[in-house]
Amino acid sequence: MRINRRSTFLADPVSDLIDTENREVSVAALYDPDLYELELERIFAKAWLMLGHESEIPNVGDYVVRLMGEDQVIVARAADGEVHVSLNVCPHRAMHVCIADSGNARVHKCIYHGWAFRPDGSFIGAPIEKEKMHGEIKSKEQLGLKKARVKVYGGLIFATWNHEGPALEEFLGDMKFYYDMLFCRTDNGLEVLGPPQRLTIDANWKTAGEQSACDGFHTLTLHQSLLEGGAMAGEENTEHESAPAMYGVNVSGNGHSLRCIPADTSWALMAGKTHAGMTDDERLELMPPPGITRDLLPQVRKNLTADQLHVFAKAPPVVGGMFPNVNLLFIYSPLRDGTLGSAMVMHTINPKGPEQFEWVTYFFAEKDTPEDVKAMMRAAAAQGTGTSGVIEQDDSDTWPHMSEASRGVIGRTETLKYQAILGENRPDDWPDKAKVYSGFSKDDAQWNWWLAYRDLMLAEA
Amino acid sequence: MSISTQITPETSSSVLSEVDYGSPIHNRITGWYIREARLLDHRLLDEWQTCLAEDLVYKAPVRLTRRVQGFDTEFGAVGHFDDDHASITARVKRLTGTKSAWSEDPASRTRRFVTNISVWETDTPDEYEVSSYLLLTRNRADARDYKQLSAERNDRLRWDGERFLLARRTILLDQVVLGMPNLAIFL
Repeated sequence: MRINRRSTFLADPVSDLIDTENREVSVAALYDPDLYELELERIFAKAWLMLGHESEIPNVGDYVVRLMGEDQVIVARAADGEVHVSLNVCPHRAMHVCIADSGNARVHKCIYHGWAFRPDGSFIGAPIEKEKMHGEIKSKEQLGLKKARVKVYGGLIFATWNHEGPALEEFLGDMKFYYDMLFCRTDNGLEVLGPPQRLTIDANWKTAGEQSACDGFHTLTLHQSLLEGGAMAGEENTEHESAPAMYGVNVSGNGHSLRCIPADTSWALMAGKTHAGMTDDERLELMPPPGITRDLLPQVRKNLTADQLHVFAKAPPVVGGMFPNVNLLFIYSPLRDGTLGSAMVMHTINPKGPEQFEWVTYFFAEKDTPEDVKAMMRAAAAQGTGTSGVIEQDDSDTWPHMSEASRGVIGRTETLKYQAILGENRPDDWPDKAKVYSGFSKDDAQWNWWLAYRDLMLAEA
Repeated sequence: MSISTQITPETSSSVLSEVDYGSPIHNRITGWYIREARLLDHRLLDEWQTCLAEDLVYKAPVRLTRRVQGFDTEFGAVGHFDDDHASITARVKRLTGTKSAWSEDPASRTRRFVTNISVWETDTPDEYEVSSYLLLTRNRADARDYKQLSAERNDRLRWDGERFLLARRTILLDQVVLGMPNLAIFL
């Protein structure tokens, strides 16, 4: 680790990169290879990471291979019916045990020397049992695949290497109140609409990471092409008023955040009418939140609390992320048949060196959505987000520029600035959950992302 | 699986016969592919759009790495593209009709090399199944290297009496993890 050598002249490199007084982050943070190594240890080997959805592996033996930092893990459903996450590294000679990215196997047998493991990671044995090819120094119990700690929440599979650290609930904190509204609102929950898209972006993972923390501001400029025509159109000096995502309620806690867009804005945009005077129930009925059809509303009413239903009716969360590397969009979207539907995707941002990350896109629908609607949602999501999405292709164009800028020794001395401050201001009728920033989308939640980053980076490794 | 990955057409090959290489139909279709590549490489997207049928289905399913090398089990239901005529039209309009389609402004410099064209007659008169190989190089700004992509495209072409129209395209990419940051271009 070179950072140890550097620390002889840089007393506290992590602290120096983040100026908490002025709310600035050194551009060097996007470049430094030593910092990157430290991130793998202190963030990606410590935080809870989202690895997929249990609907990807419904049957015993089903598995997918996913990334925790740069470590491949096998996410598998074992004979006990539970999801297990094991390091995809054979304890014998460090060969990858799984060499496909998905499939079904009751036994994972390493192709190198044949050491075999169950989907729960436990060691079955090495070939030629009588010759004791795993030796007698270590017991079979000691020779299983390294196990991560797993928690399935709302069908989403989370894992961490931090066996002693906070539970997922604690990690999510007050933000769970809002995530429940996306992941735990129906009886049968979400399902994936197929294996995820994967692509490579030549940029530091934090460029996309910090943006996921409620960067509403970039919509106006970077996504201008979507504002140039149709319902979002406006004059140059007033377009921010009709752009759908500029005014809203950003909620933030533990580095996680979501942007809640007022239902009034969406409804006015779609129907040119106002919600004024309507009850929560009437609002939900008139325009169910993204991903929810009227048929599903009784389930939503049953599964969410009155406070959650109020937020849902008033300003449902539509975009945001989860610290450190999840970005999500649960948005309204026109469907192929001309109706107003939704697109629901979650991204993971997987680091691949200081200047590259893999951008993974999972497509979702509520399980109880009719199949023909799911197909239309899948198409709408592919057209808006991910690889060819007309929204996100412009994001993927931006982040590499930031990384390239960080390569210059002078560029590296610049800072990312988070000085547009709204301040906490919870509307009277808004539940007292997490930090609440109501108004024009500013830098508050993104700054909180960096503070969460700083906390983890400064915590004892 | 809803994704068509057929190398040969779905209907039984006894009904459909492969068009000979070098025959007038094969030549005409090969010419269509050369012209299509040229339109896309020159960013003549409005003109390219006139080559698309109204009932177009345009897909690029995600690819998977499987243990058993069954070609038809390597593709998922989710697509990198999952489009129809209306959505392609919207994409073209965004690229040509706005001043802020940043992912292609400045534009990529692309070359589409199309080879290995196989043509089959179908049950529908004037409709052909066409399989082609695509090698695409993409360079942007001052990048020294190229982003590359190779694929097989399985298409349905329809002769409308005057010209061929693209009625279906299934793009079978060779990369599980794409090396380029987006598909703001057409394949």
